[in-house]
Amino acid sequence: MVLARLRCVKILLADDDAARARALARALAEDPTLHVVRIPRGRPLAEAVAAEAPDVVLVDMAHADRDALEGVRALSARAPHPVVLFVDQDDPAFMEQAIAAGVCSYNVLGMPPPDVKPILRAAIALFRHHQRAHSELAERRVLERAKAVLIRERSIGEPAAHRWLQRQAMLRGRRLVEVAREVLRARGEAEEA
Amino acid sequence: MQVRLGLLRLVDGAAPVLAAARGLLAAEGLEMRFSVEPSWATLADRLAWGALDAAVMLPPLALAAAAGLRGGGVPLVVPMGLSAGGNSIALGHAPAEAAAGGGGAVACGRRLLRWLRAQSAPPRFAVVHAFSTHAVLLRYWLAAAGADPDGDIEIVVVPPQHVTAALAEGRIAGFCAGAPWGEAAERSGAGRVLFGSSAIWQGQPEKCLALAAPWAAAHPAAVKGLLRALLQAGRICDRPAEADGLAALLAARLDLPEDAVRATLPGGQALERVRFAAGATWYPWLSQGAWWAAQMGRWGWLPPAADALALAHEVYRPDLLAPAAGELGLPWPVAGAKTEGGHSCPWRLPGNPEPLPLEADQFCDSLIYSENGQILQGVPTH
Repeated sequence: MVLARLRCVKILLADDDAARARALARALAEDPTLHVVRIPRGRPLAEAVAAEAPDVVLVDMAHADRDALEGVRALSARAPHPVVLFVDQDDPAFMEQAIAAGVCSYNVLGMPPPDVKPILRAAIALFRHHQRAHSELAERRVLERAKAVLIRERSIGEPAAHRWLQRQAMLRGRRLVEVAREVLRARGEAEEA
Repeated sequence: MQVRLGLLRLVDGAAPVLAAARGLLAAEGLEMRFSVEPSWATLADRLAWGALDAAVMLPPLALAAAAGLRGGGVPLVVPMGLSAGGNSIALGHAPAEAAAGGGGAVACGRRLLRWLRAQSAPPRFAVVHAFSTHAVLLRYWLAAAGADPDGDIEIVVVPPQHVTAALAEGRIAGFCAGAPWGEAAERSGAGRVLFGSSAIWQGQPEKCLALAAPWAAAHPAAVKGLLRALLQAGRICDRPAEADGLAALLAARLDLPEDAVRATLPGGQALERVRFAAGATWYPWLSQGAWWAAQMGRWGWLPPAADALALAHEVYRPDLLAPAAGELGLPWPVAGAKTEGGHSCPWRLPGNPEPLPLEADQFCDSLIYSENGQILQGVPTH
């Protein structure tokens, strides 16, 4: 059978961020040699690993069940299936970036499957993209809230508030969002809603 | 200078939190950036890959990381102890009833063993990480009572903030976890605290400070300042008069249940309380590093004994603490290793300029361990 010869890699995806998990699953699903299984929210990670026996686990670095995942390999007498997620250990800078991107690394059997790198790179690229989109959205919110404060305080319109922030940013050589944050901070408002 | 310190939501992270709140770090020219981590794995990864400079760490996890059991990364060093005791063995109501009674931890364990073996499958017990003090202590106790920790129970890992729910829902029969989670389980009615970890090893060393070795080497002045601030903070945390304020601080900063925290602080009402500095808890005893390493070797987590001892000596670094302790006038031991166990009441160890007051350190099976973590005296029951 053709499919059997393709050496299908089963990937268990554990990410509580539903949008990111969907995006990741979609990207991975484009490759016919990858079979992606997503963990339903609330299902213990260690239990899912035992039941699904995946080749690769893609796990969100901040997942609270990560200790349990480490426990699967450290506490269990029977050898668990590879729980991966990787980065070459000889490249700390890359690993650091991976951590910053919210990806974590595991290496249960000592060696990654030969084709894990493109998977990981795709995952990291997606995490980054998602993170960037997320921070852009957050910056827009800060800007809108700062404008709302100025509109209220000075009884001016939205265009005038925007111009005031732009002028301050230009005069002081700062980014617009930094000025907006200062406006909120000076009034004791939380910078991130 | 900024120091990035990672910790989990636990009472024994009190010293750095208090040091920041009281300005002790600022007085050393340091600004602490706290990172409250969701799991030990995340904390260890961040420290190993340079995203943290320092962490409130479990000694066995520090040793496991240094031994390369978690993969690569930068080496780490342990210059200081941050707490002693504070862990609880909590059981669901049925096993608690079976185990309760007089005679100490080993007698409780023998009664529990009968219950364990009467179940259709090995009951599950939770610890917070595979390489935790909790995993070592739970195994030590059960083995001392004649149980096989790999056969009579199944050990699973559950994050500390989830153990109470897991116990309430019957997914586990019991757990060993740090403060305030045993106390929290009892207060919520999920189960009962059978005893504290001091019933297994009196005043057992608990959290330590771990530093990324390259960071420590590059910033000796910051290391000294950090250690000075933490040494002072530990002494403040030990004062019962400070407990109310400290409980409120920890509840606010680490999002912990304030009443349960208060009970586990010095002077509190909990069965097992955390100690921060007294009894030279602050000293990174080589013999304690050796004990943890030897126990990890016992369960097959680490290579043979000689290597385990070398590992402990490589990771535990009292030399890094000496300058800070000297400036604060703390007594310094003549030897950095001692026997562990065998003291049923407070005792004194030779030191300069004066002896160090130490606390009782008996094991539940009355064994005494050498400076190298090996059984020195007593009848090994396991």
